[in-house]
Amino acid sequence: MVGPHQNQGLKFVRLMMVLGSLSPLFILWAIRGNNLVPDRFFLPFCALMIVVPNAVLWQRENTAKKLKEKREIVVGKAEDHRDYLLVYLFTMLLPLYAVDLVTWRDFAAELAALGFIIFLFWHLNLYYLNILFAMRGYRIFTVYPPTDDNPITGKESQVLITRRVTVSPGDRLVVYRLSDTVYLEMDK
Amino acid sequence: MNLEFDFDNVEITEFGIGLDDVDDQDFCCMAVDDEVQSALREMAQTTWKSMCESTSEPPLYDPSEKYESFEYVHLPLDNELANRMRELHNADDLPMNSAALSDPTKIFCYFARMTDAEERRLTALHRATQFKGVLKSRLIFQRLITDALKFVEDNVFKLDKDFDLLIDASYVHILRPSAFEFAGNLQGAVLAAVPENIRLIQSELEFVDLSSVQNYAIKHPRAARYLASIRCQNQAQNVDRLALD
Repeated sequence: MVGPHQNQGLKFVRLMMVLGSLSPLFILWAIRGNNLVPDRFFLPFCALMIVVPNAVLWQRENTAKKLKEKREIVVGKAEDHRDYLLVYLFTMLLPLYAVDLVTWRDFAAELAALGFIIFLFWHLNLYYLNILFAMRGYRIFTVYPPTDDNPITGKESQVLITRRVTVSPGDRLVVYRLSDTVYLEMDK
Repeated sequence: MNLEFDFDNVEITEFGIGLDDVDDQDFCCMAVDDEVQSALREMAQTTWKSMCESTSEPPLYDPSEKYESFEYVHLPLDNELANRMRELHNADDLPMNSAALSDPTKIFCYFARMTDAEERRLTALHRATQFKGVLKSRLIFQRLITDALKFVEDNVFKLDKDFDLLIDASYVHILRPSAFEFAGNLQGAVLAAVPENIRLIQSELEFVDLSSVQNYAIKHPRAARYLASIRCQNQAQNVDRLALD
């Protein structure tokens, strides 16, 4: 996980990526519906919350490619974080989905819980946990810089989204920047 | 002298700045679009062209020399005077910091890091100008619905036409020696290295008491530079005591 103290740009894109990571929840909500909000309002809302954030993410990928926002990452140590997706699914998605929205107070509590989760994902820089990455065959690695005696070499970890199965120490990867700490290795 | 880099096959171009911190210097990268990347590559090429036009056999940089503002000299990258530049050139995974320009008074240099198709790296550095890189520019702007011109104030980072130095795998190619000394924090380095330089020179000249020279050089940069020069060029070796007497 990237440290929350790291200064990162692209606030709007990161917010959209947080919302994009909640897409499965909105899909489940849309399918399930509820008795409080009529479908003619609720379904477009869910659709909006699914389409817009992921469209922004898609646009960000294209922009990074178009503007050649590339950099080289040298791997000191890499950790595979497939388990994060499981944690994400079981600690966030299922509990929120399982709540029955019977009264308006239930609905308000659900929205408040959603707000807390968005804040936490934003604050803890967990916005890269998008199930669409997994569906497209990408894996998520936390990459640490090499440990050398060079005081200028970076010290902070970075998130690498790649189709590689393994990332080994010493690998030099050319990646596109999604944010200051999240990088995507696209196919050539 | 050749440059170990192929400008025609540049794969990656990164941009970064050097910031004066409280007790050290920090280097970080910032995202730039393809047009800026292209401009940075052109600047590096212009710098190399200027060096080639200046001389084909640049002399070795000597810290005790006084150089012109524009004079091509070189320094092996493994030379101890190139420590800071070597660290910058060899550093991996420099942190990205989108907010690095928020305090322009801290900027002391900007640089470009390029990687060619053969994975060779070139670092090009320029000292920040007197405006510390960011100018409060007043641009003339012609509005669409009127012919009247007006001033528009904006923050503009001004790139120069070339770099002060280039670093490849073997050498620091220096076009402006004063900028190299500034960005490489050479004065601080030679002052800090006085005791070590004295110790090494003393080992070659056991018959000379250099303690008074050390006391003087610690406080006087010019003397410290002479010591660094003697040390780097091994000028204290094979000195005959009789010749000194």
